[in-house]
Amino acid sequence: MTRSRLLVIASMVVVVLGALAGLGALWLNPLRAAVGPLPGEALVLPADARWVLGLDVQRFAASPFYARFAAQPGMKPGSLAELEEKTGLNPARDIDRIVIAGSGAGKDSPTLALVTGRFDLYKLGRALETEGKARGRNHEGVTVYAFKEEGPRATAVAFLDAGSLLFGSRDRVEAAVSSRTRGETPLRGNATLLRLIEKVRPGSTFWMVGDQSLLAGLPATVPAPGGGEGAALTLPALRSLTVTGDLDPQLSLAITGEAADDAAARNLADVVRGFVALASLQAQQKPELLQLASAISVATEANRVLVTAQVPYALIDALQAGQAKRAPKPAAVR
Amino acid sequence: MRDTSRPLPFGAAARAVFDLSLEGMLWTRRSLLMGLLIAMPALFALGFRIVLAADPGAVVVTAHDFYAMIVAVYWIRNVLPLAALFYATALVADEIEGRTLTYLVTRPLTRESIFAGKFAAYLATTLSLALPACVLTFFLVLSARGLPAVGPAAGDLFRDLGAISLTLLAYGGLFALLGVALKRPLIPGLVFLFGWELLVYLPGYLPRLTLTAWLRSLVTHRPAQGGLAGLLGEQVLPAAQAVPLLVVLAVAFVWAAARIFSSREYVLEQ
Repeated sequence: MTRSRLLVIASMVVVVLGALAGLGALWLNPLRAAVGPLPGEALVLPADARWVLGLDVQRFAASPFYARFAAQPGMKPGSLAELEEKTGLNPARDIDRIVIAGSGAGKDSPTLALVTGRFDLYKLGRALETEGKARGRNHEGVTVYAFKEEGPRATAVAFLDAGSLLFGSRDRVEAAVSSRTRGETPLRGNATLLRLIEKVRPGSTFWMVGDQSLLAGLPATVPAPGGGEGAALTLPALRSLTVTGDLDPQLSLAITGEAADDAAARNLADVVRGFVALASLQAQQKPELLQLASAISVATEANRVLVTAQVPYALIDALQAGQAKRAPKPAAVR
Repeated sequence: MRDTSRPLPFGAAARAVFDLSLEGMLWTRRSLLMGLLIAMPALFALGFRIVLAADPGAVVVTAHDFYAMIVAVYWIRNVLPLAALFYATALVADEIEGRTLTYLVTRPLTRESIFAGKFAAYLATTLSLALPACVLTFFLVLSARGLPAVGPAAGDLFRDLGAISLTLLAYGGLFALLGVALKRPLIPGLVFLFGWELLVYLPGYLPRLTLTAWLRSLVTHRPAQGGLAGLLGEQVLPAAQAVPLLVVLAVAFVWAAARIFSSREYVLEQ
């Protein structure tokens, strides 16, 4: 065998071993879930959900974002310590993932959250009952703590097991518990959302998918830059929206919007590019905006608009500092 | 006994030319330079791991984004087309320049089999350099934050290996065609790569006239780009159309190149 053939074979061996290791990693992936990044337990979420949001709490807690903002006074770090003392729950340590499904875009629209992790059910239940905030009762074999507020906004939390709990409007929690008991998976009935969730990159720190009803509340027009009073740009309607992101070591966002057709996607991409270009033009006054514009890229793929952004924390700090500098100073009190 | 008045069968002839060309292609200064250029990301990846281990705060890009930039911008947009240009245009040009073409074409081999053997050697050489580099870079970069991070991205590895192979096949076919059709193919090749291929950033249907738009649509990485590229953005074409189109184009380029090589009279300069 010639040395050339030997080299080619050695290269192919590296590739085959790499492919086998990749297959193994794919197979043993702890994040392998029922659909995309969705854990199997989350399939009890309601079929009429219009949007679903997921957060990988472990990645979030390990990110510089958490380290930067958790210590700020507004975040009340003391209340987390108090929560741990009462319930044994340290969210950053004990919660793995949160998946929230909502059935509308409004503030009062019903939502249901599934939280997975490691919970001390006794301590949690006792904390809820002793404070008199909620009363526990058995619903189809699962303890559901209903908070005392009655009516359509009544909320409840259900302890499915030591690894997962449901929180949301009481009727939604009870319906999800019933579905689980019957072995049903209502969310599988929502083909539109599942199709979107399947495309979410597994391993993202946070993600969100929504269908067109979620986006119905968005403005249909935006003021046209440089146009006279009343001049406006019409935004093409979106059929769906997918957002995925990471927080370590910088803020990385990937937003995919599905428009009605290719032309609408190109129009929307042009509008986004226009805003990015406007930001670049202001670089003279606000240099940080030039960096922000460079961090964003816009592409179209058939009827989809893809926006990606990689924003370093230093740039976020610069933007915040610039904003604080430009904010009007309060008038002196005499 | 073989009938010596007839040329060797296509397969046997192509295999013989493949062996000869592979030996001549792999152990050259060109391969050393191209190997370094192609495998550079594996060194970058090693540097990434060292910096991450020494000072995690100094790394300002996620492992996934770093790998995405290497695949989409470094390999598929720049280095692999360049490698294809230097290797594929030289398939016949090197023989002419070294005045060794006469020895090949006077053997009992069909010209199609000579070209097929040489193109196969080009593919074997470039794939042997690029694919292991991709595998090593993937594992070095993606395992930086622990092995569990490799699993979710493993699908990308297979997609990237396919995209890299198609990049070398499609550009290789085109530049092999330039190599047999033109006397000095390097300049037109460079103009194509760094002139024509910039159409990818224009709106409308123009990006479909480039190879790079179809190739970049095969990978899922969309790293943010600054400057004009970032401002104009890019279109992502349907991957389901991209694969058959690129294969058909590559076959057409190679077929056309083989036809030209078979029918052309080469006059060696004295």
